Order: sequence, then C-alpha cells, then structure tokens
Amino acid sequence: MDGVELQILWSNLIGIVSEQARALQRTAFSPIVREAGDLANGLFDEKARMVAQAVTGTPGHINSLAAAARNLLDDFGDEELKPGDVLITNDPWMSAGHFFDVTVLSPIFRNDRIIGYAGSTIHHSDIGGYGIGSGARDIHEEGLWIPTLKLYDQGEPNETLFKIIRRNVRTPDAVIGDLGAQVASGIIAADRLNALCDRYGLDDIASLSEEIITRSEEATRDVIRKLPGGTYHGKSVIDMPGGSEIVLQTAVTVDNEKGDIVIDFEGTSGPSSMGINVVPAYTHAYATFAVRSTLNPELPNNAGSLAPIRLKLPESSIVNAKYPSPCNARHVVGMHVPFPILKALAQVVPDQVVAEGSGAVWTIQIGGKDADGKPFTSSMFNYSGGMGARAGKPGISAVCYPTGVSAVPVEVLEASYPIVFKCKELEHGTGGTGKQPGGDGQRIGYKLRTGQPWLLNTIPSRLSAPPEGLLGGGDGAAGVFQINGENVVDTRKREMQPDDEVFMITPGGGGYGAA
Amino acid sequence: MTRYSLAIDIGGTFTDAVLLASDGRSFVDKTLTTHNDLLEGFFRGVELVTGRAGIKPEEVDDVLVHATTVVTNALIERKGPPVALLLTEGFRDVLYIREEHRYDMYDPQIEFAEPLIPAERTFTVDERMYSDGTVQKGVDRDEILDIIRQCREKGIVSVAVCFLNAYRNGENEETVRKIFAEEAPDIYVSLSSVIAPQMREYLRASTVAINAYTVPITRPYLTALISELKNRGFKQQPLIMLSNGGVIGAERASTMPVRMIESGPAAGALVACYFSRIFGIRDLISFDMGGTTAKACLIQGHEPLVTGTFEVDRRYRFKPGSGMPITVPSIDMIEIGAGGGSIATVNDLGLLKVGPESAGSMPGPVSYGRGGTDPCVTDADLVLGILAADRFLGGDMKLDLEGAQAAYEKLGQALNLPRDKAAWGVFELVCEQMAGATRTHATERGIDYRGLPLLAFGGAGPVHACMVAELTESTKVIYPPLASVLSAFGTLVTPAQIDLVRSYVTTLDGTDWDAVDGVLKSMTDEGKTALSEAGIRDEDFQFSFSMEMRYLGQQFEVRVDLPEDPRIKKDTAAIAGLFETEYKRQYGLKLDGMQIEVVNWLVTASGRQPERETAPAAGGTDGRGDESRVLQIRGEATDVPVWQRSAVTETDKIPGPVIIEERETTIFVLKDWVVTRHESGSLVAEKTGDK
Repeated sequence: MDGVELQILWSNLIGIVSEQARALQRTAFSPIVREAGDLANGLFDEKARMVAQAVTGTPGHINSLAAAARNLLDDFGDEELKPGDVLITNDPWMSAGHFFDVTVLSPIFRNDRIIGYAGSTIHHSDIGGYGIGSGARDIHEEGLWIPTLKLYDQGEPNETLFKIIRRNVRTPDAVIGDLGAQVASGIIAADRLNALCDRYGLDDIASLSEEIITRSEEATRDVIRKLPGGTYHGKSVIDMPGGSEIVLQTAVTVDNEKGDIVIDFEGTSGPSSMGINVVPAYTHAYATFAVRSTLNPELPNNAGSLAPIRLKLPESSIVNAKYPSPCNARHVVGMHVPFPILKALAQVVPDQVVAEGSGAVWTIQIGGKDADGKPFTSSMFNYSGGMGARAGKPGISAVCYPTGVSAVPVEVLEASYPIVFKCKELEHGTGGTGKQPGGDGQRIGYKLRTGQPWLLNTIPSRLSAPPEGLLGGGDGAAGVFQINGENVVDTRKREMQPDDEVFMITPGGGGYGAA
Repeated sequence: MTRYSLAIDIGGTFTDAVLLASDGRSFVDKTLTTHNDLLEGFFRGVELVTGRAGIKPEEVDDVLVHATTVVTNALIERKGPPVALLLTEGFRDVLYIREEHRYDMYDPQIEFAEPLIPAERTFTVDERMYSDGTVQKGVDRDEILDIIRQCREKGIVSVAVCFLNAYRNGENEETVRKIFAEEAPDIYVSLSSVIAPQMREYLRASTVAINAYTVPITRPYLTALISELKNRGFKQQPLIMLSNGGVIGAERASTMPVRMIESGPAAGALVACYFSRIFGIRDLISFDMGGTTAKACLIQGHEPLVTGTFEVDRRYRFKPGSGMPITVPSIDMIEIGAGGGSIATVNDLGLLKVGPESAGSMPGPVSYGRGGTDPCVTDADLVLGILAADRFLGGDMKLDLEGAQAAYEKLGQALNLPRDKAAWGVFELVCEQMAGATRTHATERGIDYRGLPLLAFGGAGPVHACMVAELTESTKVIYPPLASVLSAFGTLVTPAQIDLVRSYVTTLDGTDWDAVDGVLKSMTDEGKTALSEAGIRDEDFQFSFSMEMRYLGQQFEVRVDLPEDPRIKKDTAAIAGLFETEYKRQYGLKLDGMQIEVVNWLVTASGRQPERETAPAAGGTDGRGDESRVLQIRGEATDVPVWQRSAVTETDKIPGPVIIEERETTIFVLKDWVVTRHESGSLVAEKTGDK
C-alpha cells in the first residue's frame, strides 16, 4: 500500500471513530461525558488490536480501552459471536480501573465474518455502592461489578442484566440511557466501516490494519532510536488528605537499538487501604501517554505505537492493584503516573518535557435535599490546578493535565443542583517561579441553598507536597481544602450542615529552569 | 421601469460587486480589498458596476446589501481601542480559565490566544443573580461610578458586561447599562443578557467581549458608509449581512457586530439555497473552496443548517479549541484548512499530508512564481494538467509549470512515487479531507449525506467538486453562473432576518405559559423593531418558533422547529411528539418514560423572500471542445477535451473526462460523468451508469 492510498483509508477510519464519539457525546446523560468529555471510542481489527481512536477523551480511558477489546474477548471465552451481539463489562482489571467506567464492545460483521470491533468506554453517572470517593474499604463496597457478559444477544437485550443494573444504581434512567448511547455508537461504527469497505472494494481491513500498526510501531521505534540509550530515574511524591505520602518511582530504560522503552516502577509505594489503587491497565495508560506525548505527539495512538513501550510493575504496589483492593478514585494516583517518567525523560529530551503540575483533577460530588425538600445526587464534577511549565513556554493556568477532560460550567451546575458558588478564579502566584513559570491554580468556594444537612464527597490531593519545579524551576504552591475556614484532613464522605461553606485552592504547577 | 439592486462583498482578498437590474441583466466585477480603508475598495467596486451599467447612484432604488470581513479582521489584527469587561465578583478570570480543557490531549506544547480583554481592564462587581432568576444582590450605583472613573482614566471606549446567570435575568446588567448611559453616554455598553442570553459563562463572556471589542471599529465604519453613500447620492440605507444568513439595517448591525462575523460565507450558503429552489432540489451541500480554506454547508429543505456556537481566530495550527468561541445563531459551516494554497508534506510515517499549513497568497503556491517553494494543491492541479499555465485568470496571471513540476518531483521522491502520482495523490487526498469532514459534520447532525448533490463555487471549488462528489457518493454537481462573485450575489437573494435565542429552562410538562409569553414577547418585539429598521413593512413580517430540548439529565439539546407559535395551543404533548421524532431521526432511538426539558426558546423574525433573478448570458460558439490537453489521471496520461464555459449550450451533452474553463475558475469533470447546461445558466455534471 503506498503512502497516499494508506493515508486516505486511514483518514476514513479516524473519521469513523470520530463520528462514533460525537454521536455518543451528544446523546449522553452523564454530564461528565457531555460537558467534561470523559469518554473514549476505539476501532479494532479482527485480532482486537486498536487501529484508530477518536480524538476525544482522556488518556486513562483511551489507552485502557486499547487493551480492553483483547481482554474482553479472552474473558468471554470460546463462544462464537453473532451479528447483533454486544459485550459489556466494568471489571476494573479488564478496562479503565474502576466500576464507573463501563466498556461496551460490538463485533463488526461483513459477509458473515467478523472484520473488527467497535468499542467505547464512558464514565457513568452512578454505579451504586459507595459513589465518588476513596472511602470504600474493599472493591465490593464500591458498587456493581458487571463481569464480561452479553448486553445484547443477536439484537435481543439481556433483560436479566438490565434489571440487575437498573436496581443497583441511583440514577437508573441515566445509566440505561448512556448504555443505549454506547450501543448506538457501535451500530454507527459498524455501518460506516462496511460503507468504507464498499467504497474501496475491501473484503476486510486486515491488510489495512496491519499496515497502519506496522508503520506506527516502526515510526515510534525510529523516534526512540534517535535518543541516547541508558537508564534514567525519576521520582514524584504526592500526598493524600490525612497526610499519607505516596512515592512514585520509575527507572526508564531507553534501548536505542531495538527502539523500545521499559519503565520499571520498582521503589513505588505499596498498596493503599484507600480506594486509590491503580490497576495495571490504567498505569499503562498514563505511562504510555507520558512517553508518547513527549517524544512525538503527532504520531497516531494505536496498538502499534503503544507496543514499543513496556512496563515492569512490582508485585505489591499501588500501581499494580490486586483484588480486593479498592480502586474507585484510582485517578488520584494514576494521573500522577506521568510525572516521574517526565522527570526521567528530562535527562533525555529536556526541551520536550513538562514540569510537574497539579496532576489529578479534584473531583466533587454533592447530594442531599434542595430547599423544597426534593432529594438530589449530583454527577461528579472536577476542577484543575496549574499545569507545569514547558521549556519554551509557561505552564497553562487552571487546565486539566495530564487528563483531557473539561470543567462543568458554574452556570450548568447552579442550574442543575442547589449549589451556589462564591468564587472561581485564578490564585495568582501559585505557579512555581522559573525561566518559565508554572501555571496557577484556582480558588473555588461554594455552599448549598438548602435548609437540610447534605453530603460532600471530594478528593483533593497535593495539600502538603507541592508540584516540584524542574531543572532549577521553583515549586508550585500546595493546595488548600477548607470547610468554614478550617483545614480538612480526612477524605471520607462527609455530612455537612446547611450553612457550611467549602473553600479550595488547587495546586500550582512547577516552574522550568532557574529564573 | 427598471429597478436596480446593488451588493458589495468585502472578503479577505477581493471585494466583489454585483448590480442586478429587474429586467434580468447583471453587472459584476472584482477589485482588490483595501485593508487600510475597506470603504475605498467598496466604492471602487460600486463605481465599476454602476459605470458598466451606465446608471447614477440614485437609480439604485431596490436594496443595497453589504457583506464584510471588517469584524473578523478586527479580531485577527487586535489593534482596537481599549475595552473593559465587567464580571461578577469572585469570577474575574472567566476568560482566562475558559473550560479548563486542553484541546489537544497529546500535544503538551499547545497555546491559547490571549483573552481579547486583559486582566488589567477587567473589573468585578459585587452583585449576584441566582440560577432561578431571583436577585441575591443588586448593583450598587457607587461601585459602578467608581468603575466609570477608572474606565475614563484608562481611555476605555466600550464595555462588555457578563454577570453570572444573567442569561436567566438580565436585571443587574441592565442597571449597569443605565448608569453608564447617564454618566458616560459616550462609552458603549454590550450586555451578555442582550447579545447572547444563554447558559455557560465562558461562552457568553467570550461572545460579549468580542462584541464590545468590535463595536468601536464597526460603528465608525458603518457610520462612514452610511454618510458616504448619502454624499454620493444613494437613496437607500444599506442592509448588512449577518452570520445567520439574514440582513438587517446598518445601524442595528453596528450594535451587534458579533453577529456579522461569518457575513460573507453565510451569503455563499444562501446562494446554495437559492439554487436549490431553482432546481427544485430540497437538500444539497454547498461547497466553496478558496485559497486557504474550504467551506461546506448542508442545505435541508431549501434552508441552510444553523448552529448556536462557532469559533473564530484559531491560533494554534488551526486546531479547534485554540480560538475564541462565539454563541450567536450562525449558518452552520464546515470549515476545513484545505484550499488551493494548502501545502503538501510527507510525515514521519511516510504518509502524504495536505494542510492545514497554507502558503496563502504570499508567497503562495510555487506556480505563482512569488518565491513559494512548498508544493501546494494548486501546483498539483497544474502538474496534472487540470489547470493550464497560460489560462489562469483568463491568462492575466502566468503560472510556473516547471517550478511546480520540480516541487512535485521532490515530493514524489519522499513518497517513493513518480511525480504525477504524487500530484494525483494530493488531488485525491485534499478531496477526501473535504469529503471526510462533510461526512462527520453531517453524521453529527443526523443527516445522511450520501447522494446529496453538490453546489460548487469559489476559485478552487469547481476544480475539485466532482472528485469530492465521488467520495460522498453523490451523483450530481451544480456549477452556478457568477461563481466568482457568488457570495455578493447571495446577499441579494436574502430576506431580512434576525434569529433570537433566550434560555428559559423548564420541564416541558411544568411549562409556565405566562413566563413563556414574557420571554417570547420580548423576542418578537425585538424582531419587529429590527425588521422595521430594515425597511420591511408590517404586513410582510413573518415569525417562526423553535425550541431546544433534551431529556431531563442530558446536557445537549435537540432543536425542534414548531409549526406555529407554541402559545396558541400550549400543547405540550404535541411538542413532546415533535421532540421524540427529531431525537429518533438524529440518534436512532427514543427514550420512553423520560421527562423532557426545555432549555432555549428561539424566534426567527423575517421579511418576505425577495424576488430577483438573473438572465444567464447566451452560449457562444468558440471553444466547443475542439482543443484538448493531456491530463495525468491516476498516474496515466489521458487526452481530455477542453471547452469554454460560454460555449456550452442547452442542447450539449458533454461526456467526462472534460475540462471546462472560465475566467476565474476551471471545472474538472471525471470519467463516467456527463455535463449539461441548465436554463439558469448553471452547468450540471451527472454521474452516468449504475454506479
């Protein structure tokens, strides 16, 4: 296949996943999908290798989804899939690391033969159990566990499963609606892939996918081959409310002959009793993100470009969660995974890395009764701190990094729930100093318009260990989390009084280079 | 008695003028846009066409319509006078925080444009509105007086106000406006509750900031235009083309420049609607390809699709998200960074890439001979033989064929392909990019694009349209007359129209019709005023109503057009039925037993469709395919006949492949297509055979 023909077919595949993602985002009920874009769509070949992904979503979802198709099929076993079958799971180890993320996978048939799969993962508005937060003591407290099952069997809904889901979540209409949106997006993908094959006279996409994956892998290896070989070390320290510290330690080995990179997490903290343990797929997702976005962000993300990056995870480690460890708030640790890797890569390609930033977005969920006594449970919403500085540019203030989500607008939240914000603006001076300063965090204050006690579920991080500056740059400021002016130290779900006020300052990003 | 109407469209490169006579004659011309003083080019264009028609200014007794790029220029150049922004206390950084989103997840080097109004000219006001529209805290007059004093010190000439939840109740913003009107009447005040009364604070603030920023540039411009027209003896007040595809009086337009941004492209989409009526084709795709970008618009039922949000001035590699969002009704345009000047490269994977980088008009493609060295789309067209080196702009501009060939030789080496195959690859890929963008855009709106006819215009549109049609599975391409000045012509087939939107959120079942009456009445009143100003008589007023709704809990709305004013029957069950039908059409399913929520109420106020037509020039005799040239199609040399457009008559049936030349553009029709001439003067290419 020449470079023109391939490019045209490839653009078509990317167009298909983009269509799939747009349809999904527009029909979603979960505000975190619609407003924050917390979703992933991927197209897989007949060997379940990801060949194209939509340009949306978060690294956590997308790179986990990349592995999910294979995992689901292996787990499902030998039964042959038929047209109209749709598989589902929210098994944290199969896909994106916590129950909220439900993955749906549909085989794509052409002339009675499977030529590929369409997959999506979205963050659902509820999954029963504990809700948002890290307070559950084991994974079973965290919600409904859906093993790999058929959601549809030859076009017929699995009524038993639907009934179980409906009875086990707090927002059944939204969850069932969102599953419907996922299934519909798979149908669109199947339809479009067949149209593509018709248009270009293809029986399947096997040779196309082989070409894409081979070229992507080779291009990635070529980039790595140009780097100085060796093993480089990086370490990040983050703190959780309550004062516990977590160390993420990496040794990044660049093999510039084979053109691969191995990241060893030896020295990283052990498992946590809180729900912040990270499954390997999610660790892998953010580790590969760090490498790929640093070395060549232009290269497409697929099975080929991900292959040259491998992980070694210690058996007993917070980044290698084992059953029955709780892992609901795995993003709190997972979104910091890129930083020790970036610190190691700073010794290799100093001009291309990003200094440590606020890392995990701070997630919030509120629930209770409004002024008229009507009960409500909010969807999860999140706020970012400052991004770390780049070699040639300052860090961006108040922007989600490394994740790719957005914040839900204040007016959308105030219209949906009885919440009233007092402030949401930049906290100047929280970004670290340096040749290039880090991005600033933000100050956010809110209370509820209610006469009743209410529930607050929030997950701040970096309240004592601030993001470090890089290569002589100053540290960013640590975050602040207060209720009625008092610092809060624990992270469990908390009952609030009607007049209580929450105030937070998200951390600033680290600076780059001595000022 | 012959009546005349006049249209001037100022674009980035050319200012186009069209004078239409009621007897069907038309006079058109193009002149270079004069960026230092746009009105200079405006009147040069006016003189050219009135001169050719031999008429005096006062004889232009029908409409005088103007589409202009003045607002877009102001935003890109950023040389406007200082403007201030007033926000709710506690939320001063709305323009800096945006949506906290990185628009490209993998690229750590992304940049955002600096806010149009910087922090040092942003003030906060200690006021607060609840989301239900009740006032938590009103505006303190002394605080505003103090801000006015500071504005004076800073030389502020225009102010934007965006208070939280003002989409629900604009009372506090209105108080600010009154105080400014009393104390500082020379400072122009734009209110978010008037300009863009919709939920989502960043979108609204961005929109009102753009409006406030461009008022001090647009107002003097339009005032000068009005007075200069009067000086020259024109009797008609100018009408201004808006992004939504309607025209309104120049004075009203000067208060809402944010609505003028897509003025020219909107006019292009309207021509497509006009031809869709002439041809009796309800649905088609307009396809306008110029030097740096291509624009497409889906026409449905003879009307263009409209959108509520779009983006201007994308700063970082043309990427969506790197520009400034605007939330006002606008024609829903697909804009692709692919035009004649788009540059072809080979990426790290050994794959061909076209655009978004563009050589623009300076230095331009290699073949322009102005120092450009990168192979561009136009160069590929020349290498392939679709364009002829000595025929560009009727031979006024000689193209450098050897230069273009050398550039493609080099590109071919990088791809391991012969030169002509590389050039064909660029031709095919740029067409696929446009087809792909159209497919995605249509799907997102629940429209089946397959088989929709294309209407091709713009300098590069007719060159590529037939190939794009192949890729969107279309079987018909229409090449209208006056293609080179088509947008200007579009303004003359446009009714006066203003689209208004208000957020009033309620469940459909719980609709309070008294409240709805208040919302809709304020909108119809505003519409009536705007139409009167545009010279429309009361008996010609038309109002149509739409609602944007979603299932309770969703975050994205579906627009439903209502058959009549919803206040007449107050029939929520019927409205629910319309919503479900539309939802099912777009997303393939409806959800039973879910509550429906209304978010926005829309009113379109319009005058009647004007009836103006053109008589096409008659067919000529020379250039009836007796010439030919060799084209490199898919790497194979093919001898292709060349026609002159003026020579095609209504009895001709010209089989493809064929080249049909006119002064400003070239039509390239592929094999298995046949070209005929329609009575409107359009050429029509149709696919033959079974596929």
